[in-house]
Amino acid sequence: MIRARNLEKHFKVHKRPPGFVSAMRSLVRRKYEVVKAVDGVSFTIERGERVGFLGPNGAGKTTTLKVLSGLLHPTRGEVEVEGFVPFRRQTRFLEAITLVMGQKSQLIWDLPPSETYAMNRAVFDVPHAQFRQTLAELTELLDLAPLLDKPTRQLSLGERMKCELAAALLHRPTTLFLDEPTIGLDVAMQVAIRDFVRSYNQKHEATVLLTSHYMDDVVALCPRIIVIDAGTLIHDGDLRQLIKTMDPDKRVSFTLTDGIPEDAIAKLGTVLVRDGQRLTIKVPEREIPGVVGQLLGPYKVADLAIEDPPLEEILRVMFGKSREARDLVDNGAAAREAAG
Amino acid sequence: MTRYFKLLLVQLRVSAAAGMAYRADFLLEGVMALAWMGLTLLPIKVLFDGRGSVAGWDEPSAYLVIAFFMAVRAVMEGVVSPSFVDLVERIRSGAFDYVLLKPVDAQAIVSASRFEPWKTFDLLGGIALAIYAFTLRGAPPAVADLALALLMFVAGLFAMYSLWILCAAASFWVVRLDNLTYLLGAIFDTARWPVQVFRGIWRFVFTFVIPVAVMTTYPAMALLGRLGMRTALVTIGGAILLLVFSRLVWRAAIRSYTSASS
Repeated sequence: MIRARNLEKHFKVHKRPPGFVSAMRSLVRRKYEVVKAVDGVSFTIERGERVGFLGPNGAGKTTTLKVLSGLLHPTRGEVEVEGFVPFRRQTRFLEAITLVMGQKSQLIWDLPPSETYAMNRAVFDVPHAQFRQTLAELTELLDLAPLLDKPTRQLSLGERMKCELAAALLHRPTTLFLDEPTIGLDVAMQVAIRDFVRSYNQKHEATVLLTSHYMDDVVALCPRIIVIDAGTLIHDGDLRQLIKTMDPDKRVSFTLTDGIPEDAIAKLGTVLVRDGQRLTIKVPEREIPGVVGQLLGPYKVADLAIEDPPLEEILRVMFGKSREARDLVDNGAAAREAAG
Repeated sequence: MTRYFKLLLVQLRVSAAAGMAYRADFLLEGVMALAWMGLTLLPIKVLFDGRGSVAGWDEPSAYLVIAFFMAVRAVMEGVVSPSFVDLVERIRSGAFDYVLLKPVDAQAIVSASRFEPWKTFDLLGGIALAIYAFTLRGAPPAVADLALALLMFVAGLFAMYSLWILCAAASFWVVRLDNLTYLLGAIFDTARWPVQVFRGIWRFVFTFVIPVAVMTTYPAMALLGRLGMRTALVTIGGAILLLVFSRLVWRAAIRSYTSASS
């Protein structure tokens, strides 16, 4: 179980305007600014849950994951993971968790991944029999056999990521913090990683907290999402429910083989995308059967798909609203300050 | 404890494997090690050319200082410097996060994260030179002197390790510290001379501030039966204090570690 209560993490950062003179001045007198990377975030994640952790760049996602995995001390608030206080970094805590960072590597660059695995076996004190069994399991699930004895520097990005995942899971952790595990990977590799994370979660009843800029990862893996923006929590709940609340209309995409009169299209719904004969229209959910009937009856349709609005669109609206709310609060505070 | 021992063994094996990953480099390193051994003796040969003794040291006794110098340098260039470069790189790239995620002391992992297996030749060369020095002197060292010399050597290694940990801790605040290894190397080079060669402030500096004398001259003096028990005890106490101090600074550095951004 993961629990964060009023979690805050502030950083003191050096600030200086551009230019040579200000660079010289900053050598003598430095100006610092406190950045609230995480500002009062609270949530609870039960064992075995798969949760998507979303937010724009700089929202505080990675900082939160680093606090939860014990890499950073929180400035304020309480954090508990599997019954441990992460920043104490007790042995049993570190044996129970793992953090995979898509942009950082723990594999030894000049040697095959099997050498990193041997190192991790020693560090985590995994018994030989268990190590062999886990490695065999991971090798099968991730199709690692041809990669184990190839120097890491010769692996492709996708192959390396699969090996990174195996290195992070050899000690069979029950809490997985995954920070952009599919970054830079092609679609086939993304699907492979998603399938693997799902099966690991089901097999070991592992808790998964995932950040990703690929919304397909989140939609495919996480029934629940937590959204943060500028260090504050703006949503925590069921993914489908969020989509339904934010935008209840469906997206109907179809490709026509023949033409269709403009007024007929307007009657079907609001056109969102038009690319030659390919159209995407926005239709209220209850009107879907009627619209599909109107379309398939008189016109020739090559393909048709009915989907929820893309999560990217929902998040864009959410972040816009959160920014508006922040501006209102800031402007109100500025006005009070000016009046006072 | 067995976990740490196993880790050390794996790190040794992995470093040896990494050293052999580039075949040409591996062979070159071997040749370089042999060349360095020869070059180390050259200055002392020049110094003693036509002189019976320098600052109270005759030539075979000075060889003992060189022998310890080679042994300490083997440890420094074989473990300390490569591990330090590795640590600085990990901090810069953010991969140090993975060190902190391991259920073993981070200091233990970084202290011996990289080995240069070829430096073992320097160590063996040091031992060979010490044997040669005693052959020239015509009498082997007393067992008690040998034991005290080994104790002084270990104290010297502790002192050097502590200095390294202090530099490593500093790299959490000032990330670009790669060049510090060159500076430390240049300072350490003075350890090839008996500390009595230096006078005034320099002798004080090389004994108490940057204790290179502790690393090479004192073990050599102990081996020759010339080191007083009081000096030996102060040296051991000083090394332990330095070790404790470096540990405290390291822990403070880890607490202030902010991790490179994603």
